Amino acid sequence: MPAEVYLDYQSSKPVDPRVVDAMRPWFTERFGNPSSLHLDGDEATDALERSRERVAQFIGANKDELIFTSGATESNNLAIIGYVIRNRRRGDHIVIAESEHISIHNIAKAIEKQGFKVSKVGVDQYGRVSVEKLRKKIIDTTILVSIGWASSEIGTIQPMQEIADVLHGRGIALHSDAVAAEGLVPIDVRKVPIDLLTLSANDIYGPKGLGALYIRRNVNIAPVMPGGGQERGLRSGTEDMPGIVGMAAAADIMASEMPAEVLRLAHYRDRLIEGVLGRIPKSYLNGHPRERLPNNAHFRFEAIEGESLLLSLKDKDIAVSTGSACSSKTLEPSHTLISCGLLHEEAHGSLEFTFGRWNRPGDVDRVLEVLPGIVERLRSLSPLYEKEAKA
Amino acid sequence: MKSTSYSEKTLDHFRNPRNVGTLEGPDVAVGKVGNPICGDLMYIYIRVSDDRIVDIKFQTFGCGSAVATSSMTTELVKGRTLDEAMKVTRNDVADALEGLPPIKMHCSNLAADALHDAIKSWREGRRGETPEPPKVGEVRSSSCGLPVTKPPAIEGAEVLLGKGVYRKVEDPKAFVDKRVLIVDRGKPSVDVALDLTKHTGRVIFMSSTKEPSSKDDPRALLKRSDVKVIYEAEPIAVLGEGEVEKVRVHDLNENEDYELFIDAVVILE
Repeated sequence: MPAEVYLDYQSSKPVDPRVVDAMRPWFTERFGNPSSLHLDGDEATDALERSRERVAQFIGANKDELIFTSGATESNNLAIIGYVIRNRRRGDHIVIAESEHISIHNIAKAIEKQGFKVSKVGVDQYGRVSVEKLRKKIIDTTILVSIGWASSEIGTIQPMQEIADVLHGRGIALHSDAVAAEGLVPIDVRKVPIDLLTLSANDIYGPKGLGALYIRRNVNIAPVMPGGGQERGLRSGTEDMPGIVGMAAAADIMASEMPAEVLRLAHYRDRLIEGVLGRIPKSYLNGHPRERLPNNAHFRFEAIEGESLLLSLKDKDIAVSTGSACSSKTLEPSHTLISCGLLHEEAHGSLEFTFGRWNRPGDVDRVLEVLPGIVERLRSLSPLYEKEAKA
Repeated sequence: MKSTSYSEKTLDHFRNPRNVGTLEGPDVAVGKVGNPICGDLMYIYIRVSDDRIVDIKFQTFGCGSAVATSSMTTELVKGRTLDEAMKVTRNDVADALEGLPPIKMHCSNLAADALHDAIKSWREGRRGETPEPPKVGEVRSSSCGLPVTKPPAIEGAEVLLGKGVYRKVEDPKAFVDKRVLIVDRGKPSVDVALDLTKHTGRVIFMSSTKEPSSKDDPRALLKRSDVKVIYEAEPIAVLGEGEVEKVRVHDLNENEDYELFIDAVVILE
């Protein structure tokens, strides 16, 4: 059973039941391999290519510009590692944003070990990349810039058009991990000249374990997983047909429902932000006040620690996330929060709410009903807040 | 095991912590452990009579296990003699809570240390003191390390002078919307910090001394302002390619370094 009030859609989304219906026959009745030459194989090939076309359409791409992968992590690895290996003779330098999710930092670390050089462009206090600073990071040997379209954590949306303009005509490819933004902000590769774009199926209510990479025509990458030559030789392995059909169905549903859904989620977000900042003293919004994902509200509360907040909300059957180190695998605070200039002690007190397709207006009311009391109780235990109160 | 896989007993002590609060009086001693930067800070107060802990209270900033271990520690030793209480270990506390997630055994199971610190304070005659830091300029207490010395030169500050490092503030408008770090160089630094809050929302003041306890200290003014103040820390390097991007900070209390992302540093001459 999910939590009564589930507000952690950035961590995981349920698969839309309509998507499950579309996937179901591909487990049992239609089990053909697209590489097979018989009728079952032909049926799978047709479905594979139709699915490819539908997912490509979702971002304004042509069907021959998109390949399926096992998810966003694989797409990011293929985009960055595949691109730098293939284009090494042109240069050995890439730029990523300081605010990127740790998974991108770790890919950068991996290619540094292979002799590539990585620069990190700083972000402002709201987590936005400064185009001026990006310009200064670009050198003669720069071949790739990778900047996530939006932060899954603090919800800040990057100025992708301006970033693309800086790189225009310089022979530098632009990659963007768009998993946090897909389905929440319009993404059209005809309008914003992105060269490589990472998508995941679960982020649009499709299945986990399925993703895609958009590769603009004339942009060349090397495979990182050689094998039987599927997906234009860039991603070998028998295609996951239920997943691929599911991602296409999820993209279709999202394309038709997104305009209304985004308005609804933004309304919840704004009510929550206004309610929390208005009712809880010494509470702050992390991320950008305007350029933020419509489903994301990210706060920090002075003198309390995020895991304690999370546990207390868990007791009230409300599911959220925190950037606190105390809840992470490494005991390190969130890299994204630190890149915004927050101190460790501030990052510790952070709490993230992300809305999604099945939230109801009452969910916001429920949070606003219990959160002020929880914060007050934890502050009554905290030696840090007593000092504040005395002041 | 997940870092939040707590036993029912731990959750009970988190939800209903025992002995929360403070104690005062000539028969009270205080122990402290942790640092908010690491995500945990605990104070334990003991009232002692005839070498016995007759009352005990705690205050804790931290995660679920930090709160629960504090609560359990107070329960374990209330009414015990000081010798008995000194023998209570972190493992005893974890056992009494029916276990802690392994990753939490070291980082947040600190309450026994705070208790031992309180007993030590008592035995060394530091009684009836509130946990206020000493006055500015005084030597640090022995539990916190070395005496305060004149801050050393900050690496990289010369190279980035004029590129985000400022020796004086002539035009505060240059700081609009920037994240500014002001290094404590006495009252003029405090004035600059207070002034800059009119121009940007993020002003951080960093001092290598302890938090002043006297209201007459110029830095006391910062407490009621929008300035974020960090005591017992000093910048050791300004980092950036062609302009200031971040500073490396040395935390004197924890004897550890960390990085802070900022846009400008003011180090008055």
